[in-house]
Amino acid sequence: MALLSARPRKTESNRRQDLSRSMLVVVMVLLGLAWVGLWARGAWVQLFMGAELNRLASKQYLSAEFERGVRGRILDRKGRVLASGAESKSLYARPLEVAHVDSTARILSRLLDLPVPEVIKKLTTRKNFVWIKRQMEDKVAARIVEAHLPGLYLTTESVRLYPNDQLAGQLLGFVGLDDTGLEGMEKAFNDRLAAKSAEFVVQRDASGRKLYLDAQGQELDTRGQDVTLTIDSHIQNSAEQALAKAVTQNNGKWGVAVVADVETGDILAWANFPFFNPNSFGKVKSGAWRDRAALNTFEPGSTFKPILFAAALQNQVITPSTLFFCENGKWETRGHTIRDTHPLGWLTARGVLVQSSNIGSAKIGLELGVKRYYDALRRLGFGERAGLPTPGESPGILRDPKNWADIDLATGAFGQGIGVTTAQMTRAFLCLANGGVIKQLRLTLDPAVTPDAPQRVFEESVTEQVMEMMTAVVEEDGTGKRARIPGVQVAGKTGTAQKAMHSGGGYGEEYLASFVALVPAKKPKYFFMLLVDGPKPQYLGGLVAAPAVRDIAVETLAYSGMVPEGLQLAAKAPAPSNTPGAAGAAATSETNPNGQAQAQSQAGSDPSLPDLLPVKPLPPAGKTVPDMAGLPVRRAVEVLVEKGIVPVVKGRGMVVARQKPGPGEPWPTGENDVFILWLAGQAG
Amino acid sequence: MTKNTPKLRHGAPPDYWLLGFTLILATLGLIMVLSASGIMAERFYHDKYLFFKKQGLFMVLGVIGMYATSKMPRAFFYSMIYPMVIGCGILLALTLTPLGLSAGGAKRWLKLGVMSIQPMEFVKPALVMYLAYFFSRKQGQVRTFSVGFVPPMLVTGAFCLILALQPDFGGAVVLALLLLAMCLVGGTRLTYLFLSVGFAVTTGWMMIVQSPYRFKRWTAFLDPFKTAKEEGYQLVQSLYAFGSGSLFGTGIGAGRQKLFFLPEAHNDFIMAVVGEELGFIGMTAVMLVVAIILFRGFIIAFRQEDLQDRFTGYGMVLVLAMGFVLNIAVVLGCVPPKGVPFPFMSYGGSSLLSSFFCVGMLLNLSKGVNK
Repeated sequence: MALLSARPRKTESNRRQDLSRSMLVVVMVLLGLAWVGLWARGAWVQLFMGAELNRLASKQYLSAEFERGVRGRILDRKGRVLASGAESKSLYARPLEVAHVDSTARILSRLLDLPVPEVIKKLTTRKNFVWIKRQMEDKVAARIVEAHLPGLYLTTESVRLYPNDQLAGQLLGFVGLDDTGLEGMEKAFNDRLAAKSAEFVVQRDASGRKLYLDAQGQELDTRGQDVTLTIDSHIQNSAEQALAKAVTQNNGKWGVAVVADVETGDILAWANFPFFNPNSFGKVKSGAWRDRAALNTFEPGSTFKPILFAAALQNQVITPSTLFFCENGKWETRGHTIRDTHPLGWLTARGVLVQSSNIGSAKIGLELGVKRYYDALRRLGFGERAGLPTPGESPGILRDPKNWADIDLATGAFGQGIGVTTAQMTRAFLCLANGGVIKQLRLTLDPAVTPDAPQRVFEESVTEQVMEMMTAVVEEDGTGKRARIPGVQVAGKTGTAQKAMHSGGGYGEEYLASFVALVPAKKPKYFFMLLVDGPKPQYLGGLVAAPAVRDIAVETLAYSGMVPEGLQLAAKAPAPSNTPGAAGAAATSETNPNGQAQAQSQAGSDPSLPDLLPVKPLPPAGKTVPDMAGLPVRRAVEVLVEKGIVPVVKGRGMVVARQKPGPGEPWPTGENDVFILWLAGQAG
Repeated sequence: MTKNTPKLRHGAPPDYWLLGFTLILATLGLIMVLSASGIMAERFYHDKYLFFKKQGLFMVLGVIGMYATSKMPRAFFYSMIYPMVIGCGILLALTLTPLGLSAGGAKRWLKLGVMSIQPMEFVKPALVMYLAYFFSRKQGQVRTFSVGFVPPMLVTGAFCLILALQPDFGGAVVLALLLLAMCLVGGTRLTYLFLSVGFAVTTGWMMIVQSPYRFKRWTAFLDPFKTAKEEGYQLVQSLYAFGSGSLFGTGIGAGRQKLFFLPEAHNDFIMAVVGEELGFIGMTAVMLVVAIILFRGFIIAFRQEDLQDRFTGYGMVLVLAMGFVLNIAVVLGCVPPKGVPFPFMSYGGSSLLSSFFCVGMLLNLSKGVNK
């Protein structure tokens, strides 16, 4: 401290100077002592109390609000919502924090309509966390908040809403309570759709947004990702309506229908009947959600013949004019009898396909031989999974060629004795329609499917010949004439497969009626396929399935603006006043038999936004928000989605109770403006 | 009155210890501001580096200011004392007008175009420079009541009154403590000091007791965990941060308390982030740097032959020391919470510029020391 030594002088001012120097040292020492004291305090807090404070701090992170984001949506190819997340409140307890178990249990029992002992049991568990009630109505949640029960917490959970009810129900599947997809696309893309949960939620900013941070403090997006399907809801709806009609009018058990885009391999419709409404999966009997279009393996019957013909033409076993004797309807060979539905004599190969002769096909199959037929089937993808994301897809049944007896080859030629799936058939027919090049099918646009390299299976001249024969099936006096569409050439093939009996190995009196079509016949754009199981008394594919395919095709063509002028739909039009020639109007009128005026206005406006499921007239979508109260939620969502607004749906139920912004207010424009629909009634 | 006139010996080197450690502290502060504010800034302003950039800009301005202050003749500053005091008084008073910005229930900020300043930060050096001038000039009558005691009390009291109206009682206490410390060295009779301290404590206590809110706020620090969700919230979060840091800390950037648990993490509670991320080791290092800065400041003041020089240097050290000590005391829960920034480390342009000015003044003095 030599620095502090002062030279003593005896003047008054120097005395003062010395005094100020001494006081300066005093202050410095005092400050130094304070500094050391604070350092010691720091040591105490950090080292001595550190572990305990750290424990308390960690508890704080863990006891932070427990939140889960909203599950991603499933959209159709035009962005229309097929499945979306809505928010619903769930109640959980931290039993250790519950103060008075008995009184709390009584209050909860009254509010939630649960038995008291059950609530007490939950509140007295030794677990740190227990669900009391999942997904309750908002007003119940509000009463629980008012009750101020310690140890009980509300959290927001996502519930799944399918605004179009049964539309593509089996394909979409459904979601369990824990936000886990259990069937269909919900299951196949669960990892992508699932919301991330954030237990590290911290607080809300001034505008009420939540902050989700992970352990590193990175912000989390808790929203699940959307999935965009290749499905077009309009075509899907057309397919479902036509399928439902075909199955119910012919007393069938079930049916499936598929529409695909020939060029891209996109699945546009994937319909199952009976319908399944995923909004109420808990209320239907188990199995209603079975996606038969994806899961079932069936014997295709005569719809398989074009594939045989392509293989035979490719291997130059036949030409279209090769003659075959069709044994007048009954051919006993190799210990079995093969029959045609009506007796036929000498036919060209082309005639065999047009008349759908089993005997002629069997003879062609025998000439082609097992190996060449089997190779062609394998190259078309039979006997292996078609690669669609539908869960539980079957590879079909294609036996090892070593085990094929001649009779198996003969029946296999007309589609009996082999098992195929809808997806495999679609892929094979798209190959025929694409000039013999096989491509991958697509069911999703996002996530995008990385396509396999297209492979050539048949020469283009071969598929041209097959397409010409299939056109004759419909356009000449073949089995598929009921699929004709005036002004558009249709290529098709009927199928009436005998169904194997469950007991024993033989065939019974049950049939699987089917029809495949490629439209237009020249340069096909769409592929259609429809199956009806067990129709009676009519059971022929040409009578049961062909008219239904025609209906779907007409609507699909009209929807895509491809139906030519002058198309008559008088036979189907509900009233003579319906304007023929207006393609859109004609098409729309099928789903909307009571609203011709509306149908016409629809046709005049944007055909890409069809009126899918009319319930009550559209509220006018003008400059201000219409009154949506009382509308079914799927309708309200549709209206909003057309305006480019994705509403936030709150509460449970099927009907809109309230809305924000209210009726008459301007449409929200900014990004931060949300449109909220509160639901009520018909809780489901 | 002294017979010594200011002797400026230009050419003597400045105190490199003081300069070096000041720059070290400010640089560490810049890093900690980034760590403490990054996530918050990203969340609210979509720019992780917003506070870092602003603080960096003010650091550059502050260093330039420090250099200029150290180079300019002291006589210039001494001649500017009254304008500085009056100017600061006006700025402080303006916070009570609609120009003042309210934050956390008190109007401590002044909006000037695109910038907002905290006049209190400039009041502190201005006040001590005035007091240094006063005590050096009135050395003869300093022990009298009317001349030696009343004027500094009135000037400081006026500032305190404006602060109390903001209301910023913490700021008023800081100024009162500055006055007390200046009086001690300036030579005021201890009797007067003891009496006025006793009077102030009694008055303060009465005010606190009369308002239940103030009482709760001022006593919450004694047991912060009892009111961890209300009054004690900040302190509890701060203690959590220190405790989580333990000996070695979680590492820079890895602290969790700044994730919105700890309000003002980059600001008044930046030392809590230092404690959490750098641990007790880092805390000790920062406190050592601060101790060196203050010790060098004291040495510079002590060596001044001229009383105004000495008191000015001492005052500058006091302004810095008051910030260091009170801030650490608040974040460690030793005194009731008040909004005192940690010089050179807490985010804030006003505090940074003011602190650099204090060091600049000390560097200026260090060059003109009579050996």
